[in-house]
Amino acid sequence: VADGADQPARPTRRGPGRLLVTVYGIFALSAGARSAVQLGTKFHDAPLAYLLSAFAAVVYVVATVSLALASETSRRVAYVAISIELAGVLAVGTASLLDSRAFPEATVWSSYGSGYGFVPLVLPFVGLWWLRRSGSRNMPMLPLGK
Amino acid sequence: VNSGVERAVVVVSLVPALWALVRVLRNKGIDMVMLIGAAVVEVAVLVQLVVGIVSLVGSHRDVATLTFLGYLVGAVLIPPFGVAWGVGEKNRYGSAVLLVVFLVIAVMVLRLDQIWAGPRG
Repeated sequence: VADGADQPARPTRRGPGRLLVTVYGIFALSAGARSAVQLGTKFHDAPLAYLLSAFAAVVYVVATVSLALASETSRRVAYVAISIELAGVLAVGTASLLDSRAFPEATVWSSYGSGYGFVPLVLPFVGLWWLRRSGSRNMPMLPLGK
Repeated sequence: VNSGVERAVVVVSLVPALWALVRVLRNKGIDMVMLIGAAVVEVAVLVQLVVGIVSLVGSHRDVATLTFLGYLVGAVLIPPFGVAWGVGEKNRYGSAVLLVVFLVIAVMVLRLDQIWAGPRG
């Protein structure tokens, strides 16, 4: 990572970001392990749900790594990953309520992550807030609120 | 599984969690007490791993074996990463990392108990 203009004013891994990366990392581990078990042992029971589960795991891994890095590129990747995460938890959460048979409690995002204390629903909002906040000094075109 | 070991792991992780909470509130980073707490937790989850595998081998019940193993191994992996990551931040957020780690370990023990108790996914 080079010094200078490419460096954001506050790396996403510092301060509250340190805690955020921890929570994302735990979800990456949890979703990844869960998905590995599903794909390895009972993929044909519910292919769509288990593929979504694997997709969620990948999203968490990408979000964790990109938040833990400190470049302008990693920040952009984190924005994309967390936006997808938000869309995913909302879409899968809603779909799992509408058609519970299609999602037999199979992904972290089912019922908006109720199996994980709704942390999967809250996490992307916190993530986007943190990206915005930690990067605001580097984006003079945005209102700074002061 | 072995309720004695489980109870020990929960206690051993919740006590340093309380101290971590104090450090968070005081805006202090990880100190020696928390490092020792994390080391004790690590020893406890290692014992839990061994006892869990022995129980698994000796049991003929319908346990979700892979999931069970995943939780046992995951609990062993998380504390070292938490310490390495948390010490990099010399303020409340460093302590908050370990606070989350200690709480997650306690929750994982409860999940282990559920997985052992019932046939489920």
